[in-house]
Amino acid sequence: MVKHVIKRDGRVVDFNNQKIVSAILKAMDVTEAGEDIVLAAKIADAISKLDVDGMSVEDIQDCVEMELMKSPRKEVAKKYIAYRNQRNLARKAKTNEIFQTIIDAQANDITRENANMNADTPAGMMMKFASEATKSYVDECLLSNDVREAVAGNYIHIHDKDYYPTKSLTCIQHPLDKILENGLRAGHGESRPAKRIETASVLACISMETVQNEMHGGQAIPAFDFYLAPFVRKTFEEEIDKVSAYTNTDYSDLKPIKIDDYIKRDLTGLQGKDRAVQHAVNQTVSRVHQAMEAFVHNMNTIHSRGGNQVVFSSINYGTDTSAEGRCIIREILNTTYEGVGNGSTAIFPIQIWKKKKGVSYLPEDPNYDLYKFACKVSARRFFPNFLNLDASYNQDDAWKADDPRRFEHEVATMGCRTRVYANAFGPKTSIGRGNLSFTTINIVKLAIEAMQEEQDKETRIQKFFQKFDWALDIAAKQLNERFDFQKTALKKQFPLLMNGLWLGSEKLSDNDSIEAVINQGTLAIGFIGLAECLIALVGKHHGESEEAQELGLRIVSHMAEKINGFTEIYKHNFSCFATPAEGLAGKFTKRDKKTFGVLPGITDKDYYTNSSHIPVYYHCTPEHKAKIEGPYHKYEGAGHIFYVEIDGDATHNPEAIMQIVDLMDKYDIGYGSVNHNRNRCLDCGFENAEKDLHECPHCHGHNIDTLQRITGYLVGTTNRWNSGKLAELHDRIVHK
Amino acid sequence: MRADQICILDVLHQTMADGPGFRTAIYCAGCKHACKGCHNPQSWDMKNGHWVGVDELLEEILADEMSNVTFSGGDPMYQAPAFTLLAQLIKQYSNKTIWCWTGFTYEEILADETMSQMLPYIDVLVDGPFILEQRDTELLFRGSPNQRIIYLHGEPPEDIIPGTVKIEKPR
Repeated sequence: MVKHVIKRDGRVVDFNNQKIVSAILKAMDVTEAGEDIVLAAKIADAISKLDVDGMSVEDIQDCVEMELMKSPRKEVAKKYIAYRNQRNLARKAKTNEIFQTIIDAQANDITRENANMNADTPAGMMMKFASEATKSYVDECLLSNDVREAVAGNYIHIHDKDYYPTKSLTCIQHPLDKILENGLRAGHGESRPAKRIETASVLACISMETVQNEMHGGQAIPAFDFYLAPFVRKTFEEEIDKVSAYTNTDYSDLKPIKIDDYIKRDLTGLQGKDRAVQHAVNQTVSRVHQAMEAFVHNMNTIHSRGGNQVVFSSINYGTDTSAEGRCIIREILNTTYEGVGNGSTAIFPIQIWKKKKGVSYLPEDPNYDLYKFACKVSARRFFPNFLNLDASYNQDDAWKADDPRRFEHEVATMGCRTRVYANAFGPKTSIGRGNLSFTTINIVKLAIEAMQEEQDKETRIQKFFQKFDWALDIAAKQLNERFDFQKTALKKQFPLLMNGLWLGSEKLSDNDSIEAVINQGTLAIGFIGLAECLIALVGKHHGESEEAQELGLRIVSHMAEKINGFTEIYKHNFSCFATPAEGLAGKFTKRDKKTFGVLPGITDKDYYTNSSHIPVYYHCTPEHKAKIEGPYHKYEGAGHIFYVEIDGDATHNPEAIMQIVDLMDKYDIGYGSVNHNRNRCLDCGFENAEKDLHECPHCHGHNIDTLQRITGYLVGTTNRWNSGKLAELHDRIVHK
Repeated sequence: MRADQICILDVLHQTMADGPGFRTAIYCAGCKHACKGCHNPQSWDMKNGHWVGVDELLEEILADEMSNVTFSGGDPMYQAPAFTLLAQLIKQYSNKTIWCWTGFTYEEILADETMSQMLPYIDVLVDGPFILEQRDTELLFRGSPNQRIIYLHGEPPEDIIPGTVKIEKPR
């Protein structure tokens, strides 16, 4: 007896005779002889008595076809088959349509979802095909009912849903010292531990490039200066050996000599040991510079992932005050200032200056000179961004100035803003950890619903919070379900990541599941469009009204509190995220516009405002922006960013960048950066900051490349931006 | 013309294009240089501006702890007595630096009894008319290369801005 049926989306339902009967009758209807209810019932009955517990829809349809062919009504069988094919085609048509746009290399929001990927190349197309196919698989087979409904209802968005079936995790901060000290095995190659700066910098690249293919998000190095500093020393010692050999003099006693600062100097007038040391320093600086150049070049050119994507790479630095660490910092900054190739601004890695009082910020700090230089580099090249280690929530009492491994107690960030620091199930650190998955709540839609349901402001706000709690519960449930799926992956599915890079992974055997270690990661619940949400609730956004700001803080602090509760309930590290939502900026809005029409200040643009930001079209001073946005950062433990749009040619105004960092310091802002226009003529290399530049003032060429920032990353040309993001860029105004 | 009011077009807060760092920029109305190619000819006529008390401007400037100050326009030198008063008060109540843009040359200002009164309170003077024929959009804080960035007191910063001139303290 057949008891249940397995539907196409994997769901199991009770077997129902009547469904078979009505399908046969439908086919009979379009024949000349018409319906024969007795025959239809007889066939259904025969199928129900088959000696199996359950059947798939396709199996049942095969049986119906066979029974009809055996019956006198063979013409019904023909109609039934035709009807079945038609339905199958309709089901596939939607996917085919999407495939066709990928094949035709059409620019639309499917092919432009990710600005870092070139979906026109063969590898990029292959990625998109797979991505589109897995998304529907996830909907039909991996999501529970209420989650699927919340997604379909435009209430939540599951990030990197196409990667869901692979069980991959999002991102990681690489403990690069492990790779440099132990070597690594990747692909068909095995590397020995690094002995000099060139090898160390290449291993850093390979580590990120390899792991990127085991994850779906970014790769970062949390303490670039600390990790590479020992190899500056080794390079120096190697140079001393060379001098010894060349001059036939034993200078080996110079190897442990203390170097105050690795600065190139003219050898004229120097003799003996002084000359040997200075020569070795000069050679070391040149080699470190070249190694940094090679690192940046590699990170921008090696397409280590399908879709001709380079690694989403980030490096954090600025707090190593040793001469060797300072040499790394100075040379990566020099390289970045000069630009790659013929002087182009490097898109990767995203560079992050760790600003810390007593170390790398105040005029009396040992790395103040490099901080000033970093501001100058940022004015010209957008990077480094600035990470505020002094923010109240970024400090750690375990940090000690004389601890050689103090970087373990310094927060590090992914360039895009993803932040992993607090840990309910292990050490508080960023290193060897990362995000597991993200889900974002459409708080604008919840607010619009509340606005339309309730006239009275207080009741409306209450209603919003009820809906918000419902959405938060669903998001947490969904992340927990994904966690339960991810944890079934085996260690061997992540050959490098789970071989010591991820915190605790070294103790796993190949066939162990990763369950025991991934609780070190975070599950992040994000939100987008606080500004529009507030307009729906109280008529104004938080940049223009104190009442709105108060409510905004109430919303986000409530969210953080509730999310802390999820950590208790589910026993995972949940955290609150200020969603950048590159691909999401327009998606939510487009659908809400369809549902609710054009609502002024809410759905009248093609995007929702980034997380808790003030709308990009709103005119205000940088300080006002800092004052309003700063207080949100402490709640957004999974990541936040503060942007200032700069007017004029920032290249010449590093003081302004320093003052923006001062704002971060003053308003407890965690992570921030500046945005400004940078045009580059691809024909002659001329660069300037003019808005809407179409013709090069020097060579009059029209090959102008305009750099802008998108969710923390730089994008070489806005041609690859999706419609939501383009509309947002168009509305961006400078802050003054 | 009154010495306790300034005819202004606009006050910009925390601008980053009118000198180094954040600045409060006082754009005054009124200019007779009539440089060919001026990007702001409506600033020539004082009728396009409105009168604001020096005390009010001072308050606005001091309210922003982070920003230094820029005088621009128009040409502040046509309202030298009021700007002198404002500059003097700024120096009295803060340690903000003042950059001043003018179409007169430094030498012309030195030779003028009224205009030269302002110089002791100005840190950096960007001088001279804009010459359209010499226009260079790559110049920092200047329109044409005849204009100079003059540090009237003290040393220019180490990272010297092209076009910077150091000058002995005016008598």
